[in-house]
Amino acid sequence: MKKYITTVLKNKKTNGNLWFRSLLIFVCCSTFLLSCSDFVEVELPSSQLNADDIFTDISSANAAMASIYAEMRDGSMVSDLSYQMGNYADELDYYGSMASDTEDFNKNTVISSNGTIKSWWNTAYNLIYSANSILERVENSKQLSTSDCNQLKGEALFVRAYLHFYLAQLYGAVPYVTTTNYSENAKVVKIPVDQLYLNVLEDLKVAEGLLGLEYVNPNRTRPNRGVVKALMARIYLYTDQWEAAAQAASYCINNTGTYTWNTNLNTLFLKDNTTTIWQWSPEFEGQNTNEGQAFIFFSVPPGNVALNPELVASFEANDLRLDGWIKGLSDGETTWYYAYKYKEQGGTDVSREYSVIFRLAEQYLIRSEARVQNGDIEGGVSDLNKIRNRAGLSEVGVTDKATLLKLILEERRHEYFTELGHRFFDLKRIEQLDTVLGVKPGWNTTDRILPLPEDELLINPNLEPQNKGY
Amino acid sequence: MQKRYIIRDKCILLFTLLIFSIGTYSLFGNVRGVNFFDLAAYQHRIKGVVTDSDGTPVQGASVRLKGTSTGTFTNNEGVFYLEATPTDVLILSYIGFKKLEVIVGSSEELSLVLEEDVTDLGAVTVNAGYYSVKERERTGSISSISAADIEEQPVTNVLATMQGRMPGVYITQDSGVPGSGFQIQIRGQNSLRSDGNMPLYIVDGVPFTTQSMESFYTGEAVPGIINPLNNIDPTSIASIEVLKDADATAIYGSRGANGVVLITTKKGVAGKTRFQIGYTYGLGRVANFMDLMDTNTYLEMRREAYANDGIITYPANAYDVNGTWDQNRYTDWQEVLIGGTSDIIDATGSVSGGSEHTQFLVNGNYHKETTVYPGDYAYNKFGLNSSINHSTRDEKFKVHLTAGYTIQNNNLPGLSFMTDIYQLAPNAPALYQEDGTLNWENSSWENPYSVFETSYESKTNSLISNLLLSYEPIDGLEFKTSLGYTNNQFFDQMLRPSTVYDPAYEITSEFSNAYKNQVHFNSWIVEPQVSYKKEFSAFKTQLLVGGTFQKQVSSQLVHSTSGYASNSLLGNMTAASFINIATDDQTKYKYNAIFGRLNTSLFNRYFINITGRRDGSSRFGPGRQFANFGAIGIAWLFSEESWLENLNFLSYGKLRASYGTTGNDQIGDYQYLDTYTISGNSYNGIAVMEPSRLFNPSFSWEENKKLEVAMETGFIKDRLFLTVAYFKNRSSNQLVGIPLPGTTGFSSIQANLNATIENKGWEFTLRSEQFKNEDFSWSTTFNLSVNRNRLVSFPGLETSTYSNSYVIGEPLNISKVYQYEGLDSQTGLYQFKDFNDDDLLTRENDREAIIRFDPDFFGGIQNSIRYKGLSVDFLFQFVKQDRYTGEHSMGMAGRMGNQLNLLQDRWKQPGDIATFQPYSSGANSELRSRYLNYSQSNAVLDDASFIRLKNIAISYQLPRNILHGVTCSIVLKGQNLLTFTDYEGLDPEANFTNSLPPLQALTTGIQLHF
Repeated sequence: MKKYITTVLKNKKTNGNLWFRSLLIFVCCSTFLLSCSDFVEVELPSSQLNADDIFTDISSANAAMASIYAEMRDGSMVSDLSYQMGNYADELDYYGSMASDTEDFNKNTVISSNGTIKSWWNTAYNLIYSANSILERVENSKQLSTSDCNQLKGEALFVRAYLHFYLAQLYGAVPYVTTTNYSENAKVVKIPVDQLYLNVLEDLKVAEGLLGLEYVNPNRTRPNRGVVKALMARIYLYTDQWEAAAQAASYCINNTGTYTWNTNLNTLFLKDNTTTIWQWSPEFEGQNTNEGQAFIFFSVPPGNVALNPELVASFEANDLRLDGWIKGLSDGETTWYYAYKYKEQGGTDVSREYSVIFRLAEQYLIRSEARVQNGDIEGGVSDLNKIRNRAGLSEVGVTDKATLLKLILEERRHEYFTELGHRFFDLKRIEQLDTVLGVKPGWNTTDRILPLPEDELLINPNLEPQNKGY
Repeated sequence: MQKRYIIRDKCILLFTLLIFSIGTYSLFGNVRGVNFFDLAAYQHRIKGVVTDSDGTPVQGASVRLKGTSTGTFTNNEGVFYLEATPTDVLILSYIGFKKLEVIVGSSEELSLVLEEDVTDLGAVTVNAGYYSVKERERTGSISSISAADIEEQPVTNVLATMQGRMPGVYITQDSGVPGSGFQIQIRGQNSLRSDGNMPLYIVDGVPFTTQSMESFYTGEAVPGIINPLNNIDPTSIASIEVLKDADATAIYGSRGANGVVLITTKKGVAGKTRFQIGYTYGLGRVANFMDLMDTNTYLEMRREAYANDGIITYPANAYDVNGTWDQNRYTDWQEVLIGGTSDIIDATGSVSGGSEHTQFLVNGNYHKETTVYPGDYAYNKFGLNSSINHSTRDEKFKVHLTAGYTIQNNNLPGLSFMTDIYQLAPNAPALYQEDGTLNWENSSWENPYSVFETSYESKTNSLISNLLLSYEPIDGLEFKTSLGYTNNQFFDQMLRPSTVYDPAYEITSEFSNAYKNQVHFNSWIVEPQVSYKKEFSAFKTQLLVGGTFQKQVSSQLVHSTSGYASNSLLGNMTAASFINIATDDQTKYKYNAIFGRLNTSLFNRYFINITGRRDGSSRFGPGRQFANFGAIGIAWLFSEESWLENLNFLSYGKLRASYGTTGNDQIGDYQYLDTYTISGNSYNGIAVMEPSRLFNPSFSWEENKKLEVAMETGFIKDRLFLTVAYFKNRSSNQLVGIPLPGTTGFSSIQANLNATIENKGWEFTLRSEQFKNEDFSWSTTFNLSVNRNRLVSFPGLETSTYSNSYVIGEPLNISKVYQYEGLDSQTGLYQFKDFNDDDLLTRENDREAIIRFDPDFFGGIQNSIRYKGLSVDFLFQFVKQDRYTGEHSMGMAGRMGNQLNLLQDRWKQPGDIATFQPYSSGANSELRSRYLNYSQSNAVLDDASFIRLKNIAISYQLPRNILHGVTCSIVLKGQNLLTFTDYEGLDPEANFTNSLPPLQALTTGIQLHF
């Protein structure tokens, strides 16, 4: 009995203790829980960097800048121009699968739900955002040197101008976006093309002042003042400002130290050609260009595109470009031709070719046309002959303005075929689209500009109305 | 920085472990249930025989002396021996039987009969996650299915087992590709975010991530999201509970908005060691093909199309009609590409048993499934589950360890060819040349078999484990810690050798690509809890307080390689010239909470349940990380009221209601940060960085308010049981990627939108036992759910970017389309309503008709019939819904590509009454643009309601005496055997138009228990 009582007492004592201890644990536990609210703070993921930190260091800032060119190269509006606008104009025949975006381009039956139209629009404005983001952040950066700031700002302004220029060329009136503020950008309105070019030129003028003739990279993959000038020359030409066009084109032509004329057609698209003003490097060493991959074929009938036979036939027989830049492949009966400007279809040990975006020949042709328009026939002829000489063609003598303009146009067609849609934009600016492309069954006058992506109209009614004809 | 976190995490772990496992036990370990009275002198040996009501011996039943830890089990004759005194009370228990208490008395031999416990709600408890609750005292809305329901289905995914069986839970299968996923919606769509509507999955107390693992580069082979729930083998599951209302889900706070799915795996049962072996083999196939045109009809269509367009010379690339291809050839591409049969093999085995204080279970399973494609592809799965329970003799300290490890291996063609089944012309060329190589017919087509040159492989290894420690120092007070760890490793790769291309293009192995994707999820969770229970005569109360610390780390590495010297080296990175790292990322998610529950009952009739949670999540920016959630649930067991006692036919009656708030944090990690991301691209030799997103640091939780009222009634001794529930849930503060125009640079921004979404509806469950006697029983369960989803308010919808996606008062899952007004019998053109009467049909102004995709109602009827050893279980699932018509995705009739036969009902000349426009090759822009409008009109919506024999299981248990103690059952199981529908497409259930439909399967198997 005694044993029993002590056990009970012991139990009671323990129970009391227990209560106290339980309470203690509970309190400890709760305070612990409540006190560690910073438990839910996490460090950054390994693949991301704080945006402001990017612009404290020139290498990461350069990585941000380079992303724009990389995106531009990999399936953007600009990189697609050679292929899609070649189809849209009279340069390429399409043999790929029916019912594709490209077939619609080739047949001029593009509608506002076309996927390419939408993706061009979206990537272009995404890159414009990136450019604006760089402009805004570089402005606030205290760590970057003034020269680095100027280089980055100059490039960003150039990119913004360049993309808007093509947007206007392709879609007509579009918004000019200069901020990263999304609530503003979500409601932007279209501005007329003339007005938009003024904005483009304004940006380019500032960029011109910020950039020098020196390239950041010796391989000319990032824009310098020469690139800015080359684009300005083109825009002046497109907007009939002949004097200014000739002057701007002279910049690169006159800087012969940097841009040395080269008459070998076969080396023109090699990565170290001295007439290249701006080119894009491929993603990896050993890769070559998207153009080479898209145009060159080894079997017939071709699986994708071939040159329009009429284009091939339009060359003078002794034109060296016919032999150097075009290749044919026959099945015994029919011969199909492809653009052979870029000669590498696949990879090589070391990359041989880069995509050339601006080259010196264009500057000569711009100045030639501007001079002729401005009454300087002799100057114009001499610039034109620079190109004709290289192609092994006879020199053009002094003749009347209209004939010369026609010759220049033809020269542009042969010099720039399947390059960045030059053919289409030329026909467009001289109002020859209906005359030349009218032979295509799907062609309508309103096809001179593409439709705005239908989703964009729905989401931002300020973009209304849709372009005529869509 | 990182070090600091590691140290802190370790401290937390140590601390909690210390307190609850070692700490508590050593502190209070001296307090044990001591048997004070030494009554050994009076003890005598008794023998007992335990049988069920049929007189069959019950083996393995637990026999214990009340108030002591002395006990034993019955042997296989149902006999036990025990030392006891005449005043002792014996407690007999066995699963499936009512607990029996008898006083030993003076006799030395006892004959005891256990009563089967089938409908006794009082004994049935339901798992509610942090606590369990007696079915009759439940205040919340919980649906559940048991192992018995799961085992009769020949499926591999847990979600498949729930289809048609739970009211309010809508599940659809993404595709019939082995290893593909499911979509689940519990009581409708609550979030505007399409990926923000997943429920929270808890496996044995451990949250299980359903974050998708695939990569854009490798993931084409399996449509939809590869669901990590494949890691759980259905045969290892003991029960699945779905928590639906606020009362049940508020304790899960910010993660409870879309409901909670609790998966509990099987545990060992005390008694003789039991073995189970099972094997099933079966076949699966695509049950239904589309009614497509044959060559004659097809070519007639093509020729007519060109004639209609005024084109006399067929274009060079119109190979099907211009004479390039044999005009008499016919191939049924559906049959060729998806017409095979798939083998389904399952093998399971388990060992379980244990003593009164320690029980164990080991369960292994193997599953193999081949595809319906041509070629040798297979999905293999191997799983091992184990469970160990131990309690001290005084049952105060308990340990429960569960661990499950699964290995999956899936081989498939690397790319999808589902569109080929209808896009290929029926007279497309032969697959092979005479020499056995792929036929490219002079580069005039893309041979669909080239897809089989590509290959896809995925490997998943996953571990889910949980350790539960509990200590009950005094009656009613319990300390508990749940420690969970999951590890999920996913690897998949897609190989695209150059042989996939037409050899004429002379593409060499330099252009062969290999894509690899490695994903690793790792998470731990610690949940310390204290609960206290107290009874004061008529008043009972329970209190639970706990906390959660969770951390999840996920990493992904995606790379592509190309430039191989030979295709035989494809996939080996060292042999590649180019290696591109597309993604190399690691993300962390941390989660912290404190939760509690207070439950009180009065007179066993009135119940109040209050639950709450304070949550913190790393997915939100500073100052937005924490929020509170809570709910109250009440129940009134009115059948217990004395004034209803005379109502004999009413055996059970309960009215319950609940109201509360939950939240949703499914927005992905780091969305509030302004960062640049390494995109994986490079330029000029440097890895580039691009802006990650438009950022908004100030978004916060989505809030979801739930209301439910339900009545549960049982009649005629609960043989007829009816539950009617009404719910109304409202979600506000919608956290969405608000779509933005492209001019902003991005397509959306993360922000809270002041929109309210309502889901309200009714759920009915009727269970009846028509017959129930020794030899024959028949029971039926019927469930029906009617849910109405509605956008209640959305200030500024008209001017917002959502104005064309949503309409106030309408469900979220709609499309605004043109209103089809029929075919003009004079012109043969489709006509549409011009809503604003401007004589123009514009997307912006005339797409005012609304098509709705949510089901009107859905449910299932399940029957279980048993006659002696034979049992038949079958479930009919029914859904009333609309889907896009079969022809919707096929393109315009007349272009290259096959069509449904019904498209032949086209207009030919004025006066024709037809369904479809004339054929066109695409050159007629009027026909083409009208066709496009038609495909964006309400004409392409079809009734896709169906009634489907979802599964049937017939099993026969051989009489026990034949196999001497071995229970043997032979089972025949079927899935999707019959479908009644008017739908013209492949399958009315399939989520994606271009994916393999869920397969029809029939398997036979044998099960042995001994």
